[in-house]
Amino acid sequence: MNNTPEITIKNVSMVYNDKGRDVTALSNVSLEIQKGEFISLLGPSGCGKTTLLRIIADLLQPTSGTVEVCGKSPREVRLEKKYGIVFQSPVLYDWRTVRKNICLPLELMKIDKAEQNNRVDALLEMIGLEKFQNHYPNQLSGGMQQRVGIARALAIQPEILLMDEPFSALDEFTREKLNEDLLRIWRKTNKTVIFVTHSIAESVFLSDRVCVLSPHPGRLSAVVDIDLPRPRTKEMRESPEFFNLVTKIRNSFEGV
Amino acid sequence: MKKNKATAALLWTAGVVLLWEGVAFFLANILHDKMANAKLPYLHSIIYTIAANFSEISNAALITVSKAATGFALGAAAGIMLAVIMSISKTAEKIAFPYLIISQMIPVLGLAPIIFNLVRNMDLSRIIIAAYLTFFPVAANMLGGLKSVEPEKRELMYSYAAKKRSVYIKLMLPFSLPYLMTGLKIAAPLSITASILVDMLGSKGGIGVKLLYSLYGGEKDIFWASVLVCAAIGMLSCFIIILAEKILIPWKKTSSGGEE
Repeated sequence: MNNTPEITIKNVSMVYNDKGRDVTALSNVSLEIQKGEFISLLGPSGCGKTTLLRIIADLLQPTSGTVEVCGKSPREVRLEKKYGIVFQSPVLYDWRTVRKNICLPLELMKIDKAEQNNRVDALLEMIGLEKFQNHYPNQLSGGMQQRVGIARALAIQPEILLMDEPFSALDEFTREKLNEDLLRIWRKTNKTVIFVTHSIAESVFLSDRVCVLSPHPGRLSAVVDIDLPRPRTKEMRESPEFFNLVTKIRNSFEGV
Repeated sequence: MKKNKATAALLWTAGVVLLWEGVAFFLANILHDKMANAKLPYLHSIIYTIAANFSEISNAALITVSKAATGFALGAAAGIMLAVIMSISKTAEKIAFPYLIISQMIPVLGLAPIIFNLVRNMDLSRIIIAAYLTFFPVAANMLGGLKSVEPEKRELMYSYAAKKRSVYIKLMLPFSLPYLMTGLKIAAPLSITASILVDMLGSKGGIGVKLLYSLYGGEKDIFWASVLVCAAIGMLSCFIIILAEKILIPWKKTSSGGEE
């Protein structure tokens, strides 16, 4: 943790103008993220966690403060196609099959056909949807669709995976299963992951560190190290250490 | 489900045929209406007339339909292009949209003679009027589709730093295809109507001419045969678009929830 951070967020604030009234979505957030780290941004609605993620992704410009990724601006990193983004809804293109959806960013990057096929095959295997590769998204369940979304984000072999509440629309069973899948994929690919969630248990189970954000105005109120050993297992969810961490995080919220 | 649909369609058709024949019988044999044959002749006798005059009627229909199809294709192409231009440029939309709306306020019945007087060519008039009627529903529906693309779907393209051209080819156009098909479905029978209307302005060939002359000439069987053929052509044009939709939009076909 002593090497230079991959992502440096410095005094980032975000103020919206909502019908003539200024709303502070983020106030003075600073954070350093190491390469290969799994970081969660945790908080209730309105705490600015998604806003922060979108600022890192160059989908939003902060009102003040800076974000640097390996010494570059988010815009440069986006243009270099080093971000893989997984949205809250899967955002698949209905007219493309599973295979074609995963392939989309590779087509845009004009990667040669053979390499495209290799990568897509490997990803289909990783998410366990080889049999569904020629299905259309509306023929899949919500969990399967989100797995395709993750595979598509990984297709460009990004440096950083940005995930915006990717499992929040799923039932608890599917969600826990996908949590384990995600950790398995993360271990294989070793990307830096920034994961937005409003579930305390989910953030504890997945992360190296949990950044707790509190609302009104959105601010970073605590950063909690999760020292549970890896690989994480289902059984860990029932361990006293897990409960202690969940309690500790719950108590760190301010002004909810 | 498919079997149910086929049964329903069969029952529906049988119902219409029976009702038609029933009312025709009622007029002729119960009310002893002397005009029964003009008011509503038997369906089977109309079909017999069509069969007996098949080459004459089908030739006339072909003239009308081929010009309608040409106008439809041109109008649709222009509609799609204008919709794309309006979606790219807000200024273009602001300039073009009021004209689009106003163009729809001019009754086509009044416009057709003007066009005919301008071009002095029956075939060209048919094509222009058919294109004119096709253009609006296609442009309006296509623009509606282009504007309905969810922001997340565009953000995905943005996150890949995709070029505008790619965004249109890989996202905007395929997304709008179902909307376009809706526009085409509305426009197809309209283009046929337009072509028939121009026939009636004093053309030499075409199914509309048959309609008009037989109506005033007292050839009631030919008149009814022409009406039935016109209706059939209109419906057929719509079915062709529905068929094209099924082929072009395979992802809409099956919408059953998947299994984990």
